[in-house]
Amino acid sequence: MRLDTETRRRVGSGRSLSTALPWIAAHPWPRRALVAVGAAATVDRLVLALALVAGAALRLWQINRFGLNSDEAVYLGQAAAIAGDPILSQFFPIFRAHPLLFQFILALAFPIGGTDGSDLVGRLISVTVGLATVYLAYRAGTRLYGRRVGAIAALFLALMPYHVVVTRQILLDGPMTLGATLSLYLVARFAATERPVWLYAAGAGMGLTFLAKETGIILLGSIYAFLALAPEIRFRLRDLALSTAIMALVIAPFPLSIMLASGGGSQRAHQYLVWQLFRRPNHEWTFYPSTVPLAIGPLLILTALLGLWLARRRWSWQEKLLIAWIAVPMLFFQSWPTKGFQYLLPIAPPLAILAAQAVTQLGQRATASKIWRAGWLAPLLAGAIALTLLIPSWTQIQTSASERFLAGSGGVPGGREAGEWIRENTPEGARFMTVGPSMANIIQFYGHRQGKGLSVSPNPLHRNPTYEPILNPDLQLRSGELQYVVWDSFSAGRSPFFSEKLLSYARRYHGRVVHTESIPVVAPDGSVVQKPVIVIYEVRP
Amino acid sequence: MIRWRALFTGLTLLACLALLTGLLPQRAARAAEPQPKTPIKHVIVLMQENHSFDNYFGTYPGADGIPEGVCMPVDPADPGGECIEPFHIGNRPIEDLDHSTATALNQYNGGKMDGFVWALRLRNQEGTIAMGYYDGRDLPYYWNLVDRYVLFDRFFSSAMGGSVWNHMYWVAAQPGSEENRIPPEGYGDDVITIFDRLEERGISWKFYIQNYDPTLTFRTMGQGGPRAAQVVWCPLLNFPRFIDNPDLFSHIVPLDEYFTDLENGTLPSVAYIVPSGASEHPPGSIRAGQRFVKSLIQALMRSDAWYRSAFMVTYDDWGGWYDHVPPPKVDDYGYGFRVPAFLVSPYAKRGYIDHTELDFTSILKFIEENWGLKPLAERDARANSISNAFDFSQPPRPPSFIPEERASDEERPGPRRGVIYTAYGMGLFLAGSVIGWAAVDSRRRRGTDPVYPLRRLTRRRKRMMPRRSRGASDR
Repeated sequence: MRLDTETRRRVGSGRSLSTALPWIAAHPWPRRALVAVGAAATVDRLVLALALVAGAALRLWQINRFGLNSDEAVYLGQAAAIAGDPILSQFFPIFRAHPLLFQFILALAFPIGGTDGSDLVGRLISVTVGLATVYLAYRAGTRLYGRRVGAIAALFLALMPYHVVVTRQILLDGPMTLGATLSLYLVARFAATERPVWLYAAGAGMGLTFLAKETGIILLGSIYAFLALAPEIRFRLRDLALSTAIMALVIAPFPLSIMLASGGGSQRAHQYLVWQLFRRPNHEWTFYPSTVPLAIGPLLILTALLGLWLARRRWSWQEKLLIAWIAVPMLFFQSWPTKGFQYLLPIAPPLAILAAQAVTQLGQRATASKIWRAGWLAPLLAGAIALTLLIPSWTQIQTSASERFLAGSGGVPGGREAGEWIRENTPEGARFMTVGPSMANIIQFYGHRQGKGLSVSPNPLHRNPTYEPILNPDLQLRSGELQYVVWDSFSAGRSPFFSEKLLSYARRYHGRVVHTESIPVVAPDGSVVQKPVIVIYEVRP
Repeated sequence: MIRWRALFTGLTLLACLALLTGLLPQRAARAAEPQPKTPIKHVIVLMQENHSFDNYFGTYPGADGIPEGVCMPVDPADPGGECIEPFHIGNRPIEDLDHSTATALNQYNGGKMDGFVWALRLRNQEGTIAMGYYDGRDLPYYWNLVDRYVLFDRFFSSAMGGSVWNHMYWVAAQPGSEENRIPPEGYGDDVITIFDRLEERGISWKFYIQNYDPTLTFRTMGQGGPRAAQVVWCPLLNFPRFIDNPDLFSHIVPLDEYFTDLENGTLPSVAYIVPSGASEHPPGSIRAGQRFVKSLIQALMRSDAWYRSAFMVTYDDWGGWYDHVPPPKVDDYGYGFRVPAFLVSPYAKRGYIDHTELDFTSILKFIEENWGLKPLAERDARANSISNAFDFSQPPRPPSFIPEERASDEERPGPRRGVIYTAYGMGLFLAGSVIGWAAVDSRRRRGTDPVYPLRRLTRRRKRMMPRRSRGASDR
């Protein structure tokens, strides 16, 4: 008699096994099967432990080698402002665009690192969030398909370059994915039990997801799509309404704090909403197809698709839930004009679960096959996928710097060093003109000096309302309101026009190079040379 | 052996000689410049044009400014007649008010200080504008500067007259001639300037001139048109010995060199600066003047010289504007009316208003004391130094660029951080409570049944429906 995954999951629990022996003795369960179940549980736990250890190692490896990128600087700057840091609060207003749950948590930890060590502390918190997501993926996978699937899904997510890279940074997408995975788990529990209390809990989880980043609200569409697609899941509309009400209550701190805390948050939030609704696309439609599959792992995606193909006859609520959890955000962000590398991160855990389920299913079929008897297939396939995830993850977290930069993909080489040089060597109150607002944010965080991006449009419809444009750069340079010009290769790669414009200002206003940050790059002849990535000019009328 | 010894001795002597000739002159050159008695190794002096203290800082908090209830009679002989109260100039047009010695004496009116409008009407000017003043709205950069450094509110122009005398006092502590004009033959060798003293002691100095034209001197100023002002504002161009001696003449340089000297670390010990278009001379733009001064101070702050420097800004005369403090009479020439003056230095007292009685020769006095020079004349020998404005017991202050925007007096309230902590804390608590409630409820239902999982499994198998596929359940 073979035990299904549910049996193994239940009996495999050490607590249940130890207390159940008298009952087992009275029932005709094969003892050998029970021993096998216990061994399998140990293997699953080992896989989970491996996932957590490897995930931690990948996320912590040289985590603070490079300084913060622009988005990280903004979120940590907001946290510093919430914590009342007198310097950084001058440059980073508390209210910008997003809810403040993660910034609030960072603010609580801000005193640990202080101004100088906050980047490391913030990134460690992000790593913790990432590992918590890995664990929740394990729980969700276990809940949906059993412990073996949960453990393998956790391993896949722990090694996945997409999740590794994003959760090494202080970004909101990591916490949002944690909230999304928690909600997925809670919805799964509701679907499995049909007990309304889990639906309420899922509402609370969705509220947390929103508080981490407002785009998490899209997953509400996933839940409703799931409930619509799975008629076998019975629920009362009253419970659904109550769950939605709980979500609204958990979300309430966002509008309440904007309204009650003053500080210009309400106006800025409205401006940001208008801008987001009408802004121009920032990437081509091919952006996600060309970047995200490679970051998730092509073999993992193929395996997940294969798993869906294998499950086509069963097509249970589990598959429907995972498909809804993946499809709705994908469709939304693909059609939304604003695209960002990390925006699709919430689809990573359900994809990992699907792939893990496919691996387990294939393994079971291979083991059951009278011809193959290939018990080794599942471990081999899982190992192969894990390897295809580990290698790119390891490659991406190496310290080799690049003169190009994709937002959300990591720290900015030389940014922290340039900022610290600015703080040490330029007068307090000095103002900097940069190619774009990204380097301006980094200068403000590390340099404690005001930075303004030349590329910020004077047209309010075409700029992020949190950024101030330089209305007349010539006038401001001539009148000494801007005293330094900072060129960086990362912004220059994205805005060659403004890069050249900035350099023309440096030439026109007696620009004198006062500092350069370089990174080692491989020249065409194979030799390693130092290439400037950030150049600071002193200018004067 | 003897030859070898002789050769060795000779080579050693040669080497010593080479060392001596190579090193000693450099050491001598370094030692030639006397070390100052204070940490100030660079004194930079800028002279702008034609404003009185009350015109610029008459409403500055804490300064000896415009008294309450002042109303300047249009005719001092008729005290009960029409009078003009001080008013904010704002965007009103201004004109170049007469600032001759005669007008100064009429405005002074024997110490009654009631002729500021009348004296100008005697010169066919309407005169009302003399009672106007600027404040932080118009002079945000200057007001911000003195918030952080030192403002002198008893700083008098040296002579009751215009530019020529006052510029001469600025460099020579004497008027140079009995009349407030440049003598046709220039100033003789009997007029000693601070630069003569510096030259004698081997102390480096330069005179920087904005838009400098080296062909314009007292001999050619008639051909200079409006640019001839450089001859008045740089008195050295009226000394034959300074313009005929190439070595001395090379110390008078365009202002661009000020910036390159700062960049190259070659700023001299004493630097005098005069403007051209940005002099603030009415009706010139005071905003342009502030930007000019800002560019000079910012360049200094960006250089290594900042930590050893003092930058003094003053104005050559009162320009015909109202000032309420009668100038003390110290000799036949002065003092003249008060002028704005402020000091920027890493050693300057912070936000300090210095009430010491000073004039242009007080700057000379400080230079002389700092480098141990003899006084130039009786005036500087008797003058108070500006040294009270410094606090050398404190470490030098790091440079800080002063904003050109004046902060509003009404402080904007910051965001209430407590609201954020409370709101998000409540959100987390609520979510945690609901999720925790679900978990506890689930455990409670499961109870303490030790064989719950297998019982649940058995029950489930019995009633398993083929069309409903379900995953794990704890019900």
